[in-house]
Amino acid sequence: MQKLVLNITYRFFIRWFLKIIIGVKFDNAHFLKSEKQFIIVANHNSHLDTMTILASLPSKIIDKVKPVAAADHFGKTRLKGILTNYFVNTLLIQRKRDKENPENDPINKMIKAIDDGYSLIIFPEGTRGEPEQQQPLKPGVAYVLQSRPNIKYVPAFMVGMGKAMPKDDNLILPFNSSLTYGQPTEIKSTQITDILKQIEMDLNELKEKN
Amino acid sequence: MKDILRLDILKNNDLLLIVILIFGLLTFASLLFFVIGKIKPKANLKELKNRTKSWWVMAIVFICATLINTTISYFAIALLSFIAFRELYSVLGFRQTDRRAIFWAFLSIPIQYYLAYIGWYGAYIIFIPIVMFLFLPLRLVLKGDTVGITKSMSVLHWILMLTVFGISHMAYLLSLPEIKGFASGGRGLLLFLVFLTEINDVMQFTWGKIFGKHKIIPRVSPNKTWEGFIGGVISTTIIGYFLGFLTPLNVNQVVFVSFMIAISGFFGDVVMSSIKRDIGVKDMATTIPGHGGVLDRIDSLAYTAPVFFHIVYYIAY
Repeated sequence: MQKLVLNITYRFFIRWFLKIIIGVKFDNAHFLKSEKQFIIVANHNSHLDTMTILASLPSKIIDKVKPVAAADHFGKTRLKGILTNYFVNTLLIQRKRDKENPENDPINKMIKAIDDGYSLIIFPEGTRGEPEQQQPLKPGVAYVLQSRPNIKYVPAFMVGMGKAMPKDDNLILPFNSSLTYGQPTEIKSTQITDILKQIEMDLNELKEKN
Repeated sequence: MKDILRLDILKNNDLLLIVILIFGLLTFASLLFFVIGKIKPKANLKELKNRTKSWWVMAIVFICATLINTTISYFAIALLSFIAFRELYSVLGFRQTDRRAIFWAFLSIPIQYYLAYIGWYGAYIIFIPIVMFLFLPLRLVLKGDTVGITKSMSVLHWILMLTVFGISHMAYLLSLPEIKGFASGGRGLLLFLVFLTEINDVMQFTWGKIFGKHKIIPRVSPNKTWEGFIGGVISTTIIGYFLGFLTPLNVNQVVFVSFMIAISGFFGDVVMSSIKRDIGVKDMATTIPGHGGVLDRIDSLAYTAPVFFHIVYYIAY
């Protein structure tokens, strides 16, 4: 049921809204169908980012991909949490690590979702920040990849979303923007800093392409 | 509902003739490139083939949107304005504080086209040049960010004039009153304008490619030559003369108006080229393969539409 709802919402309504009204140019994401499991690592400037990535996914796997989101923002009230979990299919985590309750720890939660067979969408910048400005990457994604090194990550870069709907402004304006995917890649080293560097380089490479 | 489902095209032989002509030309171009490709496999025809393919799509979309029935045409032309406006403002770099004013500029698109649809000429002709011209700076001022406000004020209104006011003249052609003994009506005029503008682009390109030697404005557009320009103007004027049956004008007037379309089409093209040069892009977007963005295709129309409209309006209406 949720798969059907997600497909109608994203593949149909949101995809065409983003294409015709906002002016988003989608990259082909069919190659994701042949990947069993992956982590999409993307830059983050706008609420439209998650919508755009979800709208680009092949319909076959759409319910198997969970965007990772901050619980303090999207799970503020119980109802809000339930609704985002259903309609955005999110994995809500808290921003800070929790050593005392391993079950509540964000890294463990992400690893558990991977072990349950889900793919993830992670914005390692953590927050949307100033429009069209890139921020330093947070290490969370590297910890997940470190403990599950056979999972590939897929870099994704979006341009223009921060102009269409920036932080601190809920007015959506049409703006010619785009989503570009890179190649699915395995991590080359198990060092946290090396993994982060590798991801950052891939994102920058996609940025240059635009 | 009846209005939307009505098929206008089958009732008018003149319009049908021009549709056949358009598809004939496209078939000819496709066959030509196919044959050249077979004879000289080394010739680099990829871009020309791409362009022709896109021409097919654009011609079919345009004919469906304008000839099937008039009510849909207003929507289609409004959408064209909307996409062109979005393309142009996206590359011109506005401030974050301009967003509210830009929102109002977007909102003026449906209003302008509604005014064209109901045929209220007085309101239609002043809405963007006067109402929005006065209102947009006001909205910017209310926001209070004065650093760079002059640029935002002028650029925003200029984009609106070019992509919305200019292009909306195409829609108003459809709202012109009927003239006795002139069966093609507004759709005939619209077809005449668009066909001639696009054929002028193609002609200037072709003449320039074959005979081009002396550059006109090398600093703006290195591919534009005197040979291409003059060849284009002459061929467009001749083609316009033969298509005169689509307009209510006499022979001299048709020749004059075709000549003006050829000239102003060239100006629209170089104005847009100079902007692209300024911001350092080759094309506005990558929406249409081989052509660039929507705006790269309709840049000449933004100039020819108002010129053609007001000449015809002055002479015939």
